[in-house]
Order: sequence, then structure tokens, then C-alpha cells
Amino acid sequence: MSDAAGTAARAGAGPAAAGPGEAIIRLDHVSRVYQVGESQVRALDDVSLAIARGEFAAVMGPSGSGKSTMLNVLGCLDTPTSGSYLLDGERVEGLSEDRLAEVRQKRIGFIFQSFHLVPRMTAARNVELPMIFAGVEPRLRGERVQARLEAVGLGPRAHHRPDQLSGGERQRVAIARAMVMEPSILLADEPTGNLDSRSGDEIVALLERLNQAGLTVVIVTHDPRVAAHARRVLRMSDGRLVEE
Amino acid sequence: MRRRDLTAFAFQTLTLHRLRTGLTLAAIAIGVTAVMLLTALGDAAKAYVVREFAGVGTNLVIVVPGRTETSGGMPSFGGTTRDLTLEDVLAVARQCPAVRRATPMSMGTAPAEYGGRSRDIRVIGTTSEFADVRKLAMESGEYLPPGDPRQGEHVVVLGTKVARELFQGENPLGKTLRVGEWRLRVIGVLAAKGISLGIDYDDQVQVPVSVGLKMFDQSGLFRILAEAVNPQAVPIAQREMRAVLTRRHDDEEDFTLITQNAMLQTFGAVIDALTGGLAGIAAISLAVAGIGIMNVMLVSVSERTGEVGLLKALGARRRQILQVFLVEALMLSGGGALAGIVVGLIAIAIAGGIWTFIPLRASPIWIGVVLVLAMGAGVSFGILPARRAAALDAADALRGRH
Repeated sequence: MSDAAGTAARAGAGPAAAGPGEAIIRLDHVSRVYQVGESQVRALDDVSLAIARGEFAAVMGPSGSGKSTMLNVLGCLDTPTSGSYLLDGERVEGLSEDRLAEVRQKRIGFIFQSFHLVPRMTAARNVELPMIFAGVEPRLRGERVQARLEAVGLGPRAHHRPDQLSGGERQRVAIARAMVMEPSILLADEPTGNLDSRSGDEIVALLERLNQAGLTVVIVTHDPRVAAHARRVLRMSDGRLVEE
Repeated sequence: MRRRDLTAFAFQTLTLHRLRTGLTLAAIAIGVTAVMLLTALGDAAKAYVVREFAGVGTNLVIVVPGRTETSGGMPSFGGTTRDLTLEDVLAVARQCPAVRRATPMSMGTAPAEYGGRSRDIRVIGTTSEFADVRKLAMESGEYLPPGDPRQGEHVVVLGTKVARELFQGENPLGKTLRVGEWRLRVIGVLAAKGISLGIDYDDQVQVPVSVGLKMFDQSGLFRILAEAVNPQAVPIAQREMRAVLTRRHDDEEDFTLITQNAMLQTFGAVIDALTGGLAGIAAISLAVAGIGIMNVMLVSVSERTGEVGLLKALGARRRQILQVFLVEALMLSGGGALAGIVVGLIAIAIAGGIWTFIPLRASPIWIGVVLVLAMGAGVSFGILPARRAAALDAADALRGRH
């Protein structure tokens, strides 16, 4: 299956050729243009891409190559200037801000280089956050929070605040939070960038485990060692996909 | 998002910055307390004036010598002001059908002495009708006897405090009290009445008006009090009295007629304006406190840009972000208002305990108004920062840009 998807998604022009049933992410001729003063910056330049359900993909490239914009577009935090984006069969461009928020809430989990934990809240409260904003009933939340924290090996640290946790533990809390709404895709932005190599390895191993359980994972990273774990590596340069 | 989650979320944020939150709460509380105290003071002043003038009686018309343009002020002096005389009183009583009874009033202060005890005392000279007009009751003995006001006997009626202090438990009836150069026989003691129209009826004595005028060598009366047949007849009585007295004073209106309504209206209007002004000034401090809330919220939004980005990435809607920050602003203003109300109530209770003569009371209406004002300030000054947070671009905010 990964072979099929691998040949299907290709850098450059032409619609991605993956079957619509298989691709969970499908970009067709997507561009994202920013107006900076007088000049236009093409952060994404005619990108077509298909990522199959259950894939583990890494996006690499130098700073300013457009990988962050790519991740924002994939995560529905940013919308393409042109082209179309099908996420799990749903057309994303043209959706209202609230609908995009709903898509993020239900289908996408995010983890970040700087963890983005709310510092005044315990690990458990941080993991609970997405459910609070989704209006999940309070009595259902506690169990789910505990299950997610145990799944990342932090069951006993549920009531620690982020400043009482190590970097690796913080990122594991962030992963538990990303998974608590049971998304179909996990988007990771330099997840090991702020970690020592041992913690980084643990995080990558955790992501691999989640992937093996069926989760689609897309990682943006500088680190070749992280990318080596991905079954598919996408390289970007000047807003284009240049190499697989 | 559930209401409890929303408040818990806001509460957690506010308790993080204790000092900042505390100072903002204090600013609101001070504004609220100021509004409460000043309006309570204004209301108390009005209640005080109303209470004082209500003692005048609804069908009373008071004649003051001298012409003043406004009712209720000090009469002007000089000019061709004629004295108010006992003949004027008799004319009013006889010639004005709308007047049930009229009574003269002279006033002076003289030393009173009995059994070696002496003190200065206010002496009112009047007639038997005065007790009816001023609704005075007797504790013992008789009031001044009826008869020609120009020929009074040498008798005196005592206020209860005077009787108590000068006679020290002795029965004063029939005893002789020395007032200035005069020796007067005590014929009665008034029942306690307290202060009315600026006169403490417990701390004065009353003598026949002819005695009062002679005692202080006065040619004219201090006041004439006339009682209309009923409250509705007051304007008619006023018209009749003005006509009779003007005719008697060589067609010159050199006197002033005062009624309870006129006084209440004048003072009431002045005090209402004053209360409104005070409340307005206090409300300015609320507006300043509101700006404080805005400032704190703006700082909070800019500190928490990354958090807003995160919440958006986690699926929070624009409206939810707006709510989160607005609820924080509301908790600040509401909490501050409640604290201010509590402090205000305590301050009013303490002040009311110290200055018992002022009827200080926190009015529920003003508490409601000030609560609404404070919450309104919270919302109106909180909406801008909340909007700014809600409008943040998720991707930019995650990177800490705004």
C-alpha cells in the first residue's frame, strides 16, 4: 500500500494519481501566496500530493522552503490561495472558519516543537482541553484523559504541571492531548527540535507505535535521523516538492 | 463549551496573576464603593431634608418677614420691610376662610434659672393655637391658655429636657422659673418631640407671645404659622394670606410665604442634582477601572497569543475564544463590583453608626445600578481585547506572532 501511495504522490505538476478511497490527504495544484509589501511570496507553489491512510511521512527542507506553510495548510490552519485540498474525502477550501475549526477538532492532532502546553494547567488538564472546547461531558473526560496519559507512559504524572516535567515528558503530554479526540491524522512540527537525542528517539518511537496502530502521521523535521524512521520522505525547496 | 468549564478556565487564568488580578479588582471595587457611598450620602441628605420638612405639616403656610425671591431661603433685610405683628395674625385668622387657625411665633435666647441651676435656653413666644399647629402633646399640666395674644399671663411651658435638667426630678408644675428678668409660673411640660424644623422642642420653653416680645424687646414676630383647612386648600390659603397681608402692609408684599411643598421641591431638586453629580463623579472612577480591565486584558491577550493559537489548533471556535476572554473580563468586573458592594455596605454601616443623625442607607436600586454599570464596564472594555484574541490568525499565533 505504501508503494502504491509512493508512486502516486509525485512532486511537480499533474493531479495526484492515488485512488480517492485510499488518500486521506490529497492536494491538487495547491499554491499559497503571501503578499509581503509590494512583492508576492509563493510559500507553496503548485504542489500536488497524496498521502494514504496509515502512512508515516516526513517533510524535509531548508528554512523558508515552505514546509511550515505545508503543515499549516494540511492542518487547516491556513487555506490555499488556489488549488484544492481534499481531507478524508472532504473539500477543505471554501469552508468557513468555524467549519475548519471543527475539522481540526475532529480529524487532526497537532504537536509542536515548543510543546505548547498551557503552563498553568496540569498534564491532565492540558490533555482535557480539546474535550472542553468540544463540549464533551465532564464525566466522560476523566477516564479518557487517564487512558491517554497512560498510553504515553505518564499515568502517574497526571497532576504535574509542565514546569515539573522534562522536555520528553512534555512532548508526551502534547501527544496525549493530540490523540484525545481520536483524530485520523497527526501533524508534528519539529517534534524533537527541543529535545535531547534520547528523548527525541522516545518520541519518534511513540509516533511509530501510533502509526502502527493505524494513525496517519506527517512530520516536518530538519533531523535526518527522524526522517529515517518515516517510510516516505518529501523534500521541499522554494515552495515546491522536489524529491521523494 | 460548558458554562462551568468556561468559568473554571477563566478563574484559573485570573488566579495565576494574583497581584495583577487583585489590583484590577481593587480598582473596580474602589469605583463601586465610591458610587455606593456618594449615592447613599445623597439619598441620606434628601431623606434628612424630607424628614425635617415633613415635620412642617402638609397644610402649613409659614410667613417670614422680608421679601425673598425663592421660597425657603433667608429673607432679605433692609428696604421698607414692615414687622409682622399680632394684628397681622388676627387678620389672617379672621379674614382668610381657607385658614383654620394662625399663630404667632417670637424667638429669643435667655438664661433660665431654678434652684441655683441656670442655663441659656431658647424661648418661643406664641399662643394656645401653636400646640395644635405644631402638634405638641403635653406630658403634664396645661399648655398656654387661650385669650387675647396681646395680654398674656406670666406663665411658661417647658420642654422635657429643660424640665429634667433644671428641676432634677422635682415636679415643676406651679414652681416659679426665672427667665432673664422675668419670673414665670410653670403650667405644663411638653411631651418629648425631638427636633422639628430646626427647633429642638425638648430643649426650649414657651411663653405667651406678648411676654416673649417684651422679654427680648422685639417689635415684630419671627414667624406667623397658619394652618389651611386641608392640604388641598394650601394654595387658596396662600392666595388669601398674601392679599390680606399685602393690604395691611400698605400694598407692599414685604413678606415671604413658605409651604412644605415648596421647600421639599426646592431642596429635593437641589439634592437630586447633587446626588446625580456625585454619582457621575464616582462613575468616572468606574470608567477608569474599566480602562484598567482593558489594559490587563490586552496584556493577557498578548501574553497568551501562543495559547490562543493552540486553542484554535485544537478546534476552538472564534466565538469560544471571545467568550474565554470576555468571561475573564466579566469575572474581574463582577468580582470587583461584589467586593466594592461589600466594602460599601460595611462603610455605610460604620458611618451610619457614627453619625446617627444622618439616615445613611445603601439603596438596593443604587446597588443594582452600580452592579450593572461595573459589569457593563467589564463587557465594554473587555470586548476589544477579546475580539483581538478571537481574530488572531491561528498559524501566526502559534508562532507567537500577532
